[in-house]
Amino acid sequence: MHFQKRRASTKQEIPTSSMPDIVFMLLLFFMVTTTLREVDVLVQFKLPEAQAIEKIENKRLISYLWVGKDKRIQINDSIVKLEEVEPIMYGKRQVLPNVIVSLRIDQGVDMGLVMDIQQALRKAYCLRINYSATLKI
Amino acid sequence: MIKKKKLQEASIPTSSMADIAFLLLLFFLVATVIDVDTGLGLTLPEYVPPEEQVTVKVDPERMAAVLVNEQGDVLIDGEIVSIFQIKEKIKPRIMSKVNLPLNKKLIVSLKTDRKTVYNQYIAALDQIKLAFFEARDAVSESEFGKKFKDLSQEQQEVIKDKVPIIISLAEPELIK
Repeated sequence: MHFQKRRASTKQEIPTSSMPDIVFMLLLFFMVTTTLREVDVLVQFKLPEAQAIEKIENKRLISYLWVGKDKRIQINDSIVKLEEVEPIMYGKRQVLPNVIVSLRIDQGVDMGLVMDIQQALRKAYCLRINYSATLKI
Repeated sequence: MIKKKKLQEASIPTSSMADIAFLLLLFFLVATVIDVDTGLGLTLPEYVPPEEQVTVKVDPERMAAVLVNEQGDVLIDGEIVSIFQIKEKIKPRIMSKVNLPLNKKLIVSLKTDRKTVYNQYIAALDQIKLAFFEARDAVSESEFGKKFKDLSQEQQEVIKDKVPIIISLAEPELIK
């Protein structure tokens, strides 16, 4: 007697032809979301910790200002003097009227300098600020 | 008879495409920094030149003056507390003014020495903000039975009207 072997007629392979498409989709997502770091931070700083922190919803509006351990101030790509903060920030405000200035200040800096920077920002009419801080756990 | 040459099928080998795409994908995965800037938001007051400044009398009942000195000691309306007590001191005062009109709400004034360390200033500001946030949560719990962040947009506006965050930075004194 002759038995015919019964085998499932379906293929036992995972269709891989669409894999490149899927991967490309992922790739596109990451390409779009990636922001390569545009500025080199020239100062050393350690951010303070806080609990009541909020996220800034709009990244485009943010302009950063760093103050390092050694009290040097950095805006954009260069170290600036305290007197230069006002004209630079005024220029930024002209381009972006509702700019948010994110202050990344080292936790050991004393308030005198911070107050001076704030006064400069007030004179430059950059009134929305954000004290950058990390979440305290 | 001449046999017709079989036409070679012209095709690009696509089997390695997935590998190439994976490589690119890996690169972007590694290079991506999804960093969200977090911190304490604040709106500075407009700059007024000293000669145009006018002093406005504020009802002392409305004011909570927080003073942080260079040692990190805190003075709230003449009472010495530690930084971590600021929240407990201020929250009941916010809560007592929930149903008053806007021009009667609590103003928290924060003032520091020039020698105060930034970290302590942030800690104090953090405590003040926490006090406001907790007050908002408490009010929204009693009004809508939900936490503030779970409320809808309009409901949040209602609570924001009831508990506005008013933090005033004291005008720095001129250096003599």
